[in-house]
Amino acid sequence: MIPNVVKKSFYRFYLFQPGLRIWHWVQFLAIFVLFFTGLYIGNPFFIGSILDPTDAYGKALCMDLIRLIHFAAGYVLLFGFIYRLFLMVTKKSHFWLLIPKFWKGWFWKGIFDVLLFYTFIKKSHIPLVRNPLARTAYFFVMLLILFEIWTGFAMYGLSNPDGFWAKFLGNWTLALFGSEYELHFWHHVVAWIIALFVMVHVYMVFFNDFIAKEGELSSMTSGVKFFPEGHLPYDCDDVASKEECKRLKGET
Amino acid sequence: MGKTYWEAFKEAGISRREFLKFATYITGLMGLAPSMVPKVVEALETKERIPVIWLHGLECTGCTESFIRSNAPYASDLLLNVITLEYDETLPAAAGILYEENGKMVRSGLVGHLDKVVEEYKGKYILVYEGGVPLGNDGRYCIVAGRPYKEDVIELAKHAAVLMSVGTCASWGGIQAARPNPTHSVPVSDLVNKPLIKVPGCPPIPEVITGTILHLALFGMPPLDDQGRPKQFFGNRIHDTCYRRPFFNAGQFVEKPDDDAAKKGWCLYKIGCRGPTTYASCGNLRWFGGISYPIQSGAPCIGCADKNFWDKGPFFQREKGIVLPNVEVDADKVGVAAAAVTAGALAVHAIAAGIRHAGEKDDEH
Repeated sequence: MIPNVVKKSFYRFYLFQPGLRIWHWVQFLAIFVLFFTGLYIGNPFFIGSILDPTDAYGKALCMDLIRLIHFAAGYVLLFGFIYRLFLMVTKKSHFWLLIPKFWKGWFWKGIFDVLLFYTFIKKSHIPLVRNPLARTAYFFVMLLILFEIWTGFAMYGLSNPDGFWAKFLGNWTLALFGSEYELHFWHHVVAWIIALFVMVHVYMVFFNDFIAKEGELSSMTSGVKFFPEGHLPYDCDDVASKEECKRLKGET
Repeated sequence: MGKTYWEAFKEAGISRREFLKFATYITGLMGLAPSMVPKVVEALETKERIPVIWLHGLECTGCTESFIRSNAPYASDLLLNVITLEYDETLPAAAGILYEENGKMVRSGLVGHLDKVVEEYKGKYILVYEGGVPLGNDGRYCIVAGRPYKEDVIELAKHAAVLMSVGTCASWGGIQAARPNPTHSVPVSDLVNKPLIKVPGCPPIPEVITGTILHLALFGMPPLDDQGRPKQFFGNRIHDTCYRRPFFNAGQFVEKPDDDAAKKGWCLYKIGCRGPTTYASCGNLRWFGGISYPIQSGAPCIGCADKNFWDKGPFFQREKGIVLPNVEVDADKVGVAAAAVTAGALAVHAIAAGIRHAGEKDDEH
């Protein structure tokens, strides 16, 4: 039997470096843990038989432990965020992966093209390495994450009113929101918005992997995307390394 | 004028021993270390007594009721010996036009007590506000001694050394400033531009009021937080100083105000206790000389020292809901519903994608 021959050839396009990939999965773990421990903290319950308070401490699931996990994961998220900022300043392509270029015509064209593609009006969109709609969404999600870090550490720090966090974040945040009651509320609401983003994000990755066949799903583990021959993305110089773009254009 | 605290004490026949005991007591009350006792004694011996003018606006006089129940120092001690409460609309024996008048009497030749006090202690007195200030209808919702209250608020602040707002009404606006705020009431800090020390609470703990006044009288401004509250009394959440905190950490909660857990005295977090978001001394000072406080008596804290606490959802609910037109819903319920809708939409999208891009496999291979 003659096997099916793939007529179209694909470039292996190296996009995400190891640091970025590790960051992504650490971020994922932290957000996952934070969201579910956060739900517990907002509406706690006791698991197991209750005899007396000392007995409760022996049980694995108690408020104290869940809060400890929540705070620890919060620190992971914070240092992840700082690490991502570090990547942004040290590498140009890592900077533009997260910052939308609203001032460029092709960027808007990309957004509308992708929207048309997602709503099935068009069968494909203009060639892109990083879809501008996602780039915009990631930017705003990073702002939401920053909001959660900010409000979270403000509340966390205020249990020690003269400590570092209270002085650095707590006091002025409290004055800004008027009351910690409001802080609790907004921290909770934004957590849900991030959870909704995660749902859409995961779906869109699968969708792109199935339909556009650029290796979207595996790119965050292998770092590699696949582009068909003759595919010259608009945003290549923005988000990818120079060597890869040259290779794609056939300049080397 | 000119008498120091110690001189006033001597005149009242209080012994040196009693005086030193008093100094030690108030040192602890002001949140100062025992090593500060000599400095407090020195201040009491050398500083002149500070006159206090106490104004009442839109309020229930609950703060005064609280103040006169101060256990340490006794309010009578405080009023008669420590501060000179020169003007107050509810506590003095005197009343009427000659007591209250400020402004017009000077012109007519007669001088009212308030006029005299302001003239005599210009730039020296502590001005204490109790109650919110209505601005609506040109301030006519609160007339004191024939004048709109807001005029006194601004006028008397001009010559005051320090301003202090006692209670939630004066500090945050209080119940009359709650939605929809028909009298357009505002906190005092909206009207004056001077340093203002806020002692919120509905009412504040008596020892907190007296402790703050004493600190102002002896050492000037105490350290304040970003919202203008004295740190020694408002530095901690009630939650962090609560004796029921171990139940919170253990995850043992009262689910309904009358359930078994409530009888056992577990944490009131789930029935809306505002301890985790309220800054006050109820957890450590407690009330009436340390007898009890709301949480100890089994009622969740309603956050009465917190900004705009009247507007923050039902008191016996953990978190306020998300306000949609005509309904208010729990954030988790909205979240789950939004997640379900999103999941549904994504499923529909996936099916549509399957149909729309069905033939593509054959084109490419």
